[in-house]
Order: sequence, then structure tokens, then C-alpha cells
Amino acid sequence: MDLHDLMAHFLTPASEKIWNSSGSIITEEGELSLAPTNQEGWDEVIFGAQVLIESTYILNRPDRANGRKDWIEFSKLLEPIGKRALDAAERQNSEELFEIGADLYQACVACHNVYMKN
Amino acid sequence: MITHIKKIVLCVFALSISVYSYSHHAFTAEFDANAPVNLTGKVLKVEWINPHAWVHMEVEEAGKKTTWMVEGGTPNTLIRNGITKQSIKPGTVIVVRGYQSKGKLCLPRCIANGRDVTFPDGRKVFMGSSGTGAPRDGADPRERR
Repeated sequence: MDLHDLMAHFLTPASEKIWNSSGSIITEEGELSLAPTNQEGWDEVIFGAQVLIESTYILNRPDRANGRKDWIEFSKLLEPIGKRALDAAERQNSEELFEIGADLYQACVACHNVYMKN
Repeated sequence: MITHIKKIVLCVFALSISVYSYSHHAFTAEFDANAPVNLTGKVLKVEWINPHAWVHMEVEEAGKKTTWMVEGGTPNTLIRNGITKQSIKPGTVIVVRGYQSKGKLCLPRCIANGRDVTFPDGRKVFMGSSGTGAPRDGADPRERR
């Protein structure tokens, strides 16, 4: 699997499970939380977190890392974020996942600023 | 019955999010740096979500009302810049400077990347994300350092 496909089919869907598990929609009628409303929804978030944890190792496969120190460091950001997300999802804490989702985005941007062309 | 209606509303909202599931992307992948926009209108809806908040606003030009969906930074970034759920709540009239999406059909609504927002009290605040490849137009305070 090349890197584009890895991002598109693996990392992006996993990240979206974290991002989509928190936040809210605000209209004139009020505010609607996007937190999962049943165990099936929380299980999706748990799965996304587990994928993020494993992503550190998948991205650091020698043929992907190519010995690049910054690549390795960027990849290592995902494991602790995934573990925090897993912990929060198991406790069904959407507010915590909102904070973790922001940290996840910062980790993505840090690496993409160096390695993503569009 | 109310719970049932809430579920339906939630599904509609969820669908609208997934349709615009750009998630994370570089500026140049989705937006046109040669298509600056200056939008004045009432906030209709705010999606306070990661990785980008979205502000839906109604813009009236020459008697025609158009709905624009404006991408902002992460909610945490917006809060740090002084934009909260309260300050940008529906009904507030704001002015947004930004850039339109590469697709300009405006179907079902126009899409833009927001750079800064001006509130009714005159306060102008950066509403984007740093380091996304957006034009260095002076909107991002971090670019000036």
C-alpha cells in the first residue's frame, strides 16, 4: 500500500472517528452534541483510537521511514494521542475527545507541512 | 416523539457534515488563492467540530440570498483567538474575509476558507489555521512575527 492509500483508507478514517465523536452543531434552535449516543458509536471511536496507536508502527516501517528522523518523530506523536483517545472513548468522555481531536490535528499538520504536497 | 425528531435532525446534520468531509487538507487542495471573498451576513449555523469549525452564513447581494459555508481553524484555535460559541452564535451579523473554494458552482451552497472575521463591535479576529498553505495576506498574526 502506498502512502496516499495508507492515509486515505487507514489514517484518515481513523482520525475522523475521533473528530466526529465530539463537538456540536449550533443553530437558532439550540446546540446539538455530536457525542455517540450508544455503545456501537463508542465502539467506532475505540476502533479509531486503536488504529491511531498502531499507526506509529505502520508509518515507521523501515521502507516508509527511510531513516528520516523527523518522519519517525512525527509518527511517534500518534501513539500517545491514540492511547489518550482510547482511554477517553472507553470512559465515553466526549469533551476530552474534543481536546484530543485538536491535538491530533496539530500532529497531522506538523507532518503534512513537511511531507504533504496538497 | 421529541427524541425521535432529535434523531432525525441529528441524522440530517451528520449527513451534511459527511458531505463536506474535507477533514484535513492543504489550502491549495480545496481553495482558490486567486478568488478572495468579502462576505457580510447573518450566522445561520455553526459546526463546532474538529478539525475545522464551519460557519454557515446568509449573504444577501442585489436582493439575492446565498448561503456560504466558511471553514475556520480548529475550535481550540478559534477560542485562543477570541472566537467562542457565544461570540459567533446564530443571528450575529459578521464580515468574513477569505477565499472561495476551487469549485464555484455554489451547489448546494458556496464554500470558502475564512481568514478573518469582524464582529458587530468592530473586533477583527483571525479565524483560520496557521501553516495550511493559505496566502500570506496579513490575516494570520503568526505570519507577522
